[in-house]
Amino acid sequence: MAFSRNKLYSIMIIACIAGYIWLYFGLKHEYSEDKPIEVCLIKHFTNIACPSCGSTRSILSLTEGNFIEALSINPMGFLIAIIMFLSPLWIIADITAKRNTLFIFYQKTETYLKRPQLAIPLVLMVIINWIWNITKGL
Amino acid sequence: MDAQKVDMFIMSNSKFFESHQVNQIRERLLAIDDSKWAMISTVQLKDPTTSLIVSILAGSLGIDRFMIGDTGLGVGKLLTCGGLGIWAIIDWFMIQNATREKNMQKIQQFLY
Repeated sequence: MAFSRNKLYSIMIIACIAGYIWLYFGLKHEYSEDKPIEVCLIKHFTNIACPSCGSTRSILSLTEGNFIEALSINPMGFLIAIIMFLSPLWIIADITAKRNTLFIFYQKTETYLKRPQLAIPLVLMVIINWIWNITKGL
Repeated sequence: MDAQKVDMFIMSNSKFFESHQVNQIRERLLAIDDSKWAMISTVQLKDPTTSLIVSILAGSLGIDRFMIGDTGLGVGKLLTCGGLGIWAIIDWFMIQNATREKNMQKIQQFLY
């Protein structure tokens, strides 16, 4: 595949750190009742929510334990929360044990996701979620 | 392989590869057997310009990454609104080189 184990791990760690910083600012904003910052390009240009708009709010309500609220804002928040929680642990475990289990897992999921019988339902789910997001007016 | 064939291939396909790789591909093509010509001349290469257009239009959804075959990164981009919009903008400049690298990987399996 395209990149080596170390490149993948550094990208994932940077992404996780950025995600946690973003969450920290999200939490701060929630308590200070300011207007949240919007970074989504699609929403900026078209005023229409994108498929993953609202995932910050979803994760924020997850941190408060409101699972149903998180699900109703954006189900993708669950997926992001799981990845953000698990991947740093997995990477640290891999680095300390000098293995590359996460890299192998990543490559395997990549090949699985390319199969049409898996890709088409997933794309449809994303589109349904998108339509739901727009009707919710996120 | 025949020098004329190789030069024809290089002329029509050099835009799909990075400039520093073209010479290496040419030398390798001259060295390999003629029987591989059919496979090499029909290999499907992705156009960097197309992926740039897709990246500008739908980069926030990760479709450019899906298109060149980086499914994992595509999912990452899709889930995070194009990496909070930053990664999407970075990819406007990275995607052409990423496409060329993918093309190189694709042709490499026939070259060696």
